[in-house]
Amino acid sequence: MPKTDQLNASFRDPSGFLFSRGGVLFRQINRVYAEDYARLMESGLYDRLVKAGLLIPHVEVEAPRAERNRNAEAFKVIQPERVPFISYPYEWSFSQLKDAALATLSIHKRALKYNLALKDASAYNIQFVRGKPALIDTLSFEKYKEGQPWIAYRQFCQHFLAPLALMSYCDVRLSQLLRVYIDGVPLDLASKLLPTRTRLNFGLLTHIHLHAGAEKRFAGESVGQAKMSRNALVGLIESLEVTVRKLSWKPAGTRWWNYYEITNYSDAAFEHKKRLVTEWIARVQPNQVWDLGANTGVFSRVAGASGAFTVSFDIDSAAVEQNYLRAKNNKEQNLLPLQLDLTNPSPALGWANRERESFRERGPADILLALAVIHHLAITNNVPLPQLADFFAEMGKWLVIEFVPKSDSQVQKMLAAREDIFTEYTREGFEAAFGERFKIHESVLVNESERQLYLMEAK
Amino acid sequence: MHFSPLPYLDPGSGSFIIQIAIAALLGLGVALRASWGKIKGFFGKKTKPEDEDDDTADAQN
Repeated sequence: MPKTDQLNASFRDPSGFLFSRGGVLFRQINRVYAEDYARLMESGLYDRLVKAGLLIPHVEVEAPRAERNRNAEAFKVIQPERVPFISYPYEWSFSQLKDAALATLSIHKRALKYNLALKDASAYNIQFVRGKPALIDTLSFEKYKEGQPWIAYRQFCQHFLAPLALMSYCDVRLSQLLRVYIDGVPLDLASKLLPTRTRLNFGLLTHIHLHAGAEKRFAGESVGQAKMSRNALVGLIESLEVTVRKLSWKPAGTRWWNYYEITNYSDAAFEHKKRLVTEWIARVQPNQVWDLGANTGVFSRVAGASGAFTVSFDIDSAAVEQNYLRAKNNKEQNLLPLQLDLTNPSPALGWANRERESFRERGPADILLALAVIHHLAITNNVPLPQLADFFAEMGKWLVIEFVPKSDSQVQKMLAAREDIFTEYTREGFEAAFGERFKIHESVLVNESERQLYLMEAK
Repeated sequence: MHFSPLPYLDPGSGSFIIQIAIAALLGLGVALRASWGKIKGFFGKKTKPEDEDDDTADAQN
């Protein structure tokens, strides 16, 4: 197999790797993993986890003969269910990361009952599928041997516990440390940043503070025949579970958390906008919608009502948190709230910049919603309209966009303390700039407002 | 120590040591709970099967 077909997020584990053929995703299982794979499938654990929505299902497929001959390591090829949108922990809200952490521990606890153990605890192995966190790496299990400590203990603490504790006790924005540290937040850093009172919390004292101290104290020392009983392992997992469960964060006080209470829209304008979005989505019939600047996801749900899978992006952690909690309570399966700063979207990260995809690489969406967002990009962030048109045309095949004129009270506020250098920022200037990159199908003035809603198709 | 045939993840020496120390303590709790369950069982009190916990968790998730 040409090496380039291998996807770059899965090269570390010698058990197998992901590759794509004709747009379909496959996972090769190497001979060295054959025994563990058989145990996962035959023990009943696979069925149990899939039924609980904690592991993505897969089917075994026949690998082409030529490929098998060329690839002596190959044992089997499986085709996992395709995840509609791959997201990363630095794009998740507090509760998303917390639920992903609890899912990881729950999977490990269940696996132990079948004499299997989770051999990694990477947050990148969890994806939101049908609204719930699920493990996507089928090769994460290995046979549990009595006496064996949890090999992924440190990884769990770095990927989940440390960022959650920092978000809960220091500042929710510290989730962004995960963007810098691809293998999770270093525990000595977490220990340094967390307030002293966290040492009174047994879980944080042991799993973060003492853990960080031990890393420093025993670095590079041989651990010999270190063993721990099964009860000790269960106790460890349960302690991590209790510690994670107790961490909390209340979504309030950020800039946008109560946006819909302070917006300048009348009810009639709001209803008209909803009707237009519904009609246009029905016309385009997208499989995937990206709502950019979605706040708590009101219009994402309007789009999602068509059955399309909708990714609901917002910059504000409190808005994303509320959006996720609502989706979780309502058991919404086709909505994925994520945190994203459009002016500095997620970059490509990791080895050779190819382990984690950038926001751009994950596009284009079938249709973008950019409602009440352009003035933030064009005026607050000074991006010229032609560059905005380029960006949107690259990220979406279709676009529903709202133009907010300078006379709008929100834009007036933005211009209150600064010089108006935005001579091109007019309806005509907007249509000229976007007309270069899009065919404008519809243009409607929203009732009882000065805002114009457009349906456009990328050229 | 190599428990896993493919230990591709470096568990870290310090992490291993602290894990074993903490877990030894926590394991006592788990063992006590199991014994307590047996004592209650002896006196005819029903204890909840462990699987039930997981399935309730599924419903809540």
